[in-house]
Amino acid sequence: MTAMKNATRAGLAALAMALATSVAMADTVVLTAYSGIFQENYVKAVVEPFMKANPDITVEFYGMPNSAQMLGTLRAQASAPQIDIAIMDVSVAKAATDEGIFAPMDETVTKHLADLYPQARYEGVNAAGVTFDNLVLLYNTDKVQQAPTSWNALWDAQYAKQVSIPAVPDIQGTTLTIITDKMAGGTNYIESVEAGLKRLEELAPLVQTWEPRPDVYQPISSGTAAIGIGWNARAQVYADLSDGKLGVVLPEEGSGFQINVIGLVKGGPASESARKFIDYALSPEAQAAFTEQMFYAPTNAKAAALISEKALQRTAAGAMDRMIDINWLEVAKVRDAITEQWRRRVIPLSR
Amino acid sequence: MSAAPALPRAWRDGQLAVLLLLPIALINAIGFILPVLNLARYSFNRSRIGGGIEQVFTWENWAGLLSDPFYLELVLNSVWISLAITLTTLVVSYPIALYLHRASGSWRTFLTVLVISPLLTSAVVRTYGWIAILTDDGPVVSAIKALGLPAPSLMFNIKGVFIGLTEILMPYMILALMAGFGRLDPRVEEAARTLGATPARTFRKVILPLTLPGIALGCLLCFVLAVSSFITPKLMGGGRVFLLATEIYDQAIVTLNWPLASTLSILVLIVFGAALWAYSAVLRRLD
Repeated sequence: MTAMKNATRAGLAALAMALATSVAMADTVVLTAYSGIFQENYVKAVVEPFMKANPDITVEFYGMPNSAQMLGTLRAQASAPQIDIAIMDVSVAKAATDEGIFAPMDETVTKHLADLYPQARYEGVNAAGVTFDNLVLLYNTDKVQQAPTSWNALWDAQYAKQVSIPAVPDIQGTTLTIITDKMAGGTNYIESVEAGLKRLEELAPLVQTWEPRPDVYQPISSGTAAIGIGWNARAQVYADLSDGKLGVVLPEEGSGFQINVIGLVKGGPASESARKFIDYALSPEAQAAFTEQMFYAPTNAKAAALISEKALQRTAAGAMDRMIDINWLEVAKVRDAITEQWRRRVIPLSR
Repeated sequence: MSAAPALPRAWRDGQLAVLLLLPIALINAIGFILPVLNLARYSFNRSRIGGGIEQVFTWENWAGLLSDPFYLELVLNSVWISLAITLTTLVVSYPIALYLHRASGSWRTFLTVLVISPLLTSAVVRTYGWIAILTDDGPVVSAIKALGLPAPSLMFNIKGVFIGLTEILMPYMILALMAGFGRLDPRVEEAARTLGATPARTFRKVILPLTLPGIALGCLLCFVLAVSSFITPKLMGGGRVFLLATEIYDQAIVTLNWPLASTLSILVLIVFGAALWAYSAVLRRLD
């Protein structure tokens, strides 16, 4: 009988151990970020190497089309979060922080905070910059023979009705407003973008669509439109896929950054492993790998040394002095007013 | 023994009806009424800068909406564009529905399948098809140019939305019309003709009045679908056509102003309520 009891005990202990290990093995971190080519490239460059280095952690990538949808999902799960980490636009992350969705982002989460560029940290946002992107000029190489060097090419009458602009409230339109305002002599985009709006009124009649679909890159690659604006990282990837049809230029007047931040969801199911992933995502290695893969500029200052010159050339990293410092949290306050002006003054001129 | 016949009587008294209605009522309460009430509640919240929501009770969104000419124009635009699209859809669908109603046998089945088949393809795919056809380098504009006529721009403006939505709504209109054509008996038409009515007069005095219930149903359905459609206006409007549905999308998804998006959604419900009221008023007059 005793032997029997002992055997049972040993069996139970073994089972318990097996269960414990399998629980540890199955630590799953759920990461939400943009679906589509972002997901494709981020998984390849960052998620897979992380899982290789940490075989006990599985990172599940839950792709969503935009930051707003991520915020909506996080909001809905506020009482019982299923997501551990979110990568989203900084202004949306501010709203998420205000609603108490993100845990504080400090040295306990990642030791790389000190190495990040100052633009990657925002006061009052519990998340750290993980990618820098910037607005670029796009053109179809068949329709635009000479590669443009200035944003002014958008106003060139020979491309009338062939200009593709994602209008406000899309932040590509907001960024264009700020760039245009600066070019037209504006000095403080928070106080007024009047000079920029005047110039955009002149652009309006030349515009083919304010709502390029599925995105701005496809119609320009295919020649439906001749010229337009878009984000650098995606444009670079699509340019490689376009057989040379899609041209991408960072104009001489400079540009503005769009910033994606990475945040830790408060009370997420796999907090410890999630911290580990965030630390990795902000490391010079992961940052460099993602720049090589998709041409987002790194947010970690130590990453640049690890990136090939060829890849670095295709980001804004070499043009930091020409970049307009856009404070997206300040812009959020005037965004409604800018949208209103676009809709009442700019877009009607294109009808 | 006496209890056995009592049960069916109790059922006849309505208990069975209640029992049968309960599941759908529950599903409706959870899946529709509660979310709509929640939406209504959201419309009284305050939107914070950057997309946050402040849980308060304020009339700000409603006051802002009603005092802003942009939104008034938006509502009027949505209503008149949807009405115009509904009317166009009716005009082009009516002869088809009438022909289908009169056809018989496998020919009728074949034609009906043909009419319904666009519904088997997603509206997104069909909309992209229209973009390819109507764009400035597309076949339609090229054909008009080849005839030496001034070619209008048919895409990325209100014309594109109009053409696209009309085509997308046609199957719904045709099916609704056919469903409402039940009272149209060929013998009545024959009688009218025998008694000396011209074809035009037969149509005006006999066919049209008898098909009015179908027309009312089809118009209600298409109007509601037109007001709430946003994929086609989004894809074909080129960002120039501001409608209620596209604005709700922008406010909810891009600007993250959920309180305003909710207010606009409730406004759409009110427009639908008005459409339903008009529909039942028409039906009452017909009876």
